[in-house]
Amino acid sequence: MSEERTVEIVPEAGLHARPAALFVEAVNDHEAEVEAGPPEGDLVPAQSMIAVTSLGVGEGDELRLVADGPEAEAVLDELERILTTPEDELEA
Amino acid sequence: MAASTLTGTGATPRSGLGTVVWYDPEITLPDADESVDVEAERDRFADAVDTARAELERERDATAERVGEDEAAIFDAHIQFLEDPTIEEAVVASIEEGRPAAHAVDDAFGVHIEQFEGMEGRMAERADDLRDVRDRLLRLLTGGDRVNLADLPEGSVVLAERLTPSDTAQLDPETVAGFATVTGGRTSHAAIFARSLALPAVVGLGEALNDVSEGTEVVVDGDAGELLVGPDEAEREAARAEEGADVVEESVETSDGREIEVAANVGRPAELEPAAARGADGVGLYRTEFLFLDRQSPPDEDEQYETVRDALDTFPDGRVVVRTLDIGGDKQIPYLDLPEEENPFLGERGIRRSLDPDAELFRTQLRALLRAAADGAGELNVMFPLVATVEELEAAIEAVDDAAADLADRGVDHERPSLGVMVETPSAVFMADEFARRVDFLSIGTNDLTQYVMAADRENERVGDLHDPTHPGVVRAIGRTVEQAHANDAWVGMCGEMAGNPDVTELLVGLGLDELSMSAVTVPDVKVAVSETEYSAARERADSARRVATRSELHETIQ
Repeated sequence: MSEERTVEIVPEAGLHARPAALFVEAVNDHEAEVEAGPPEGDLVPAQSMIAVTSLGVGEGDELRLVADGPEAEAVLDELERILTTPEDELEA
Repeated sequence: MAASTLTGTGATPRSGLGTVVWYDPEITLPDADESVDVEAERDRFADAVDTARAELERERDATAERVGEDEAAIFDAHIQFLEDPTIEEAVVASIEEGRPAAHAVDDAFGVHIEQFEGMEGRMAERADDLRDVRDRLLRLLTGGDRVNLADLPEGSVVLAERLTPSDTAQLDPETVAGFATVTGGRTSHAAIFARSLALPAVVGLGEALNDVSEGTEVVVDGDAGELLVGPDEAEREAARAEEGADVVEESVETSDGREIEVAANVGRPAELEPAAARGADGVGLYRTEFLFLDRQSPPDEDEQYETVRDALDTFPDGRVVVRTLDIGGDKQIPYLDLPEEENPFLGERGIRRSLDPDAELFRTQLRALLRAAADGAGELNVMFPLVATVEELEAAIEAVDDAAADLADRGVDHERPSLGVMVETPSAVFMADEFARRVDFLSIGTNDLTQYVMAADRENERVGDLHDPTHPGVVRAIGRTVEQAHANDAWVGMCGEMAGNPDVTELLVGLGLDELSMSAVTVPDVKVAVSETEYSAARERADSARRVATRSELHETIQ
C-alpha cells in the first residue's frame, strides 16, 4: 500500500546536517521505499543523503513524502516527527 | 605594528600567539591507466567504507565527549553521505568498467561536490562535508597516513586551505594556539568547533594566507577577524593577555554551598602555568612519564625533586596530586626492559612494574617526592596507578616508609605526603573500602576504568560505543567508589576525560565527588557548571542515575 503525506518543516536547519541524517537513517531503518520532494514537483529517493539535502528544503517549506511497503505508515510517522521537531529537541 | 595584517572572519572572541605550521593533507591518486582486478577493487572499496564508518562513529563519540552533542551530529551526516546508495552505485559501476577504486571514488564524489559548490549557504557547506568524506575514503584507499594534528608542538598556529570537522576535532587546545584558513565562514564547521573548544581562529582569509610561510610568528585575533603576521611586542603582549578571558580564579561551590575542587591534569611542566592561569585550584593528576620518556637513561633524584617542587610552587595554596610512574608494555623506553606482551593493557604496567622490575626507579622517585613535599609551597599528594590488590597498596606504602627512613638516615629534609590510589581497575572499585582505610584519597581514572569495566579497548573503533563513561555499569562503579571512600574518611576525586565535561558535572557532583580534574582548557567551564549546580537536587538525580538500566535512560536522567 502506498501512503502519502505532506509535512511542514520545523527545524531551523531545514533538511540539513543533523535533521537530514536522522531523516535518512529513519528511512533506512524501515521496511518501505520512500520518496520525497516538493508538493508539486519531482520526487527523489529518500534513502540518499545527497538527494535529500539537494532538495534544499528549509524551515517552513512543505515536503511531500510517499512511502510504499509494509512499514509505510510507521516510517511516515517517524519522518513527520523528525520534520516537525525543533532541532534542539530532536533525539536519535 | 605587525609586518602585515590579513583580514578574514573571526570565529572565536579570543587571541592566540604562535608559530605557523602548514597543514596540507595531500592525497596522491594511483595511476588511472593501471589495469585493475575488478573483484579486488570492489572489496577494497567495501573495506574502506567499513573502516571509514567505524572511524566516523568513533570520532562522533569522541567529539560528543570533548566538544558537545550538537557538534558531534555532523559526523552522523557524514555517515549518511558515506552510505549514500547513489555514490555506492556510481563507484561500483565505475570499478566494473576497470577504474581503480580511488579514481572511482574521486569521480563519484566530484560530481556532487561540484553540484553543491555552485549553491549558497548551507548547500555549499554540504560540499565541504562531501569533500571530507571523499578524502577519508581516498586516504584509506591510497594508504596515506593522516597528518597527525593531535600531536603538534606547543604554541603551533595551524594554517590550512580548509579544516574539516575531523581535522578540527583533533586539535588540542592545550598545545595549539589557534588556526587560520583560506576558506570558510563563521558558520563553517571549523569555526563552530573552534568556538566550542575556545580556540582562537580566523577563517576565510583568502589566497593571501598562502604567502605566510611555515615557522612565521603570528597572532590569530579571533575578535577582530585578523591574522597579524610578524606582530610587534605590544601586539604579542595583547594576544597573551587575552588568552585567559573568562577564568574563575577563586575556588567554587554549588549554589547550596558544597565546595568542589576543580583541578587540572598536567602532563608536562610547561602546562603548569597555563593551568594556573585558567583558574585550576590545583593539579589533580600530574603525570610523571614525561620525565622518563625520550631519553637514554632515567632521570636522577635531584632532577625529579626539582620538577615536583616547581609544580608545588606553582600552586602554593593548592594541592598537587603526583602519579608515580605509569608505564606499561605498550611504550618503549630504551633503558627499561619492557616486555612484549599480548595484552599490554592487562599486563605489567603501573604499580605492577614499580613494585618489581622497576623497584629501584620507584625508590628514587619516592625519595624525590618526599624531599619535594618538604620544600615545595603547595600540598603534595602521591597516587599509585593501576592498583588492583591490597597487597600491592601495602607494598607501595611500605616503599614510601622505606624512602622516608632512608632520607632520615642521611639527614635529608623530607615530609611524608598524603597518599592515594588511582581507581582504574574493577578490583579497585570492589576493594575501595579497604583502600580508603589505608590511604587519604582515591582518584577515579575514568578512561582506564571505563575500558576495564566495559572490557572495551578505547583504541578499538569497533567497540568505541562501549567506551563511554556514562554507561550505567561505569556510573555505578563511580557511585560505589565514592560511597566507600566517604564511609572510610577518604576524599575522592576524578581525573578522567569525563571530569572535564560540563554536561556531566551535575551528575559527578551528585555522586559525591570532592574534586574534579581535567584538561586545563575546560577548567573555567566546569567551574561555572559547579556553581550552577544545586547539590541537594544533584544528589537525588545521581541516586536515580545509579538505578537505571540503560545508557539512554541514564542520559534522560541527567539531562
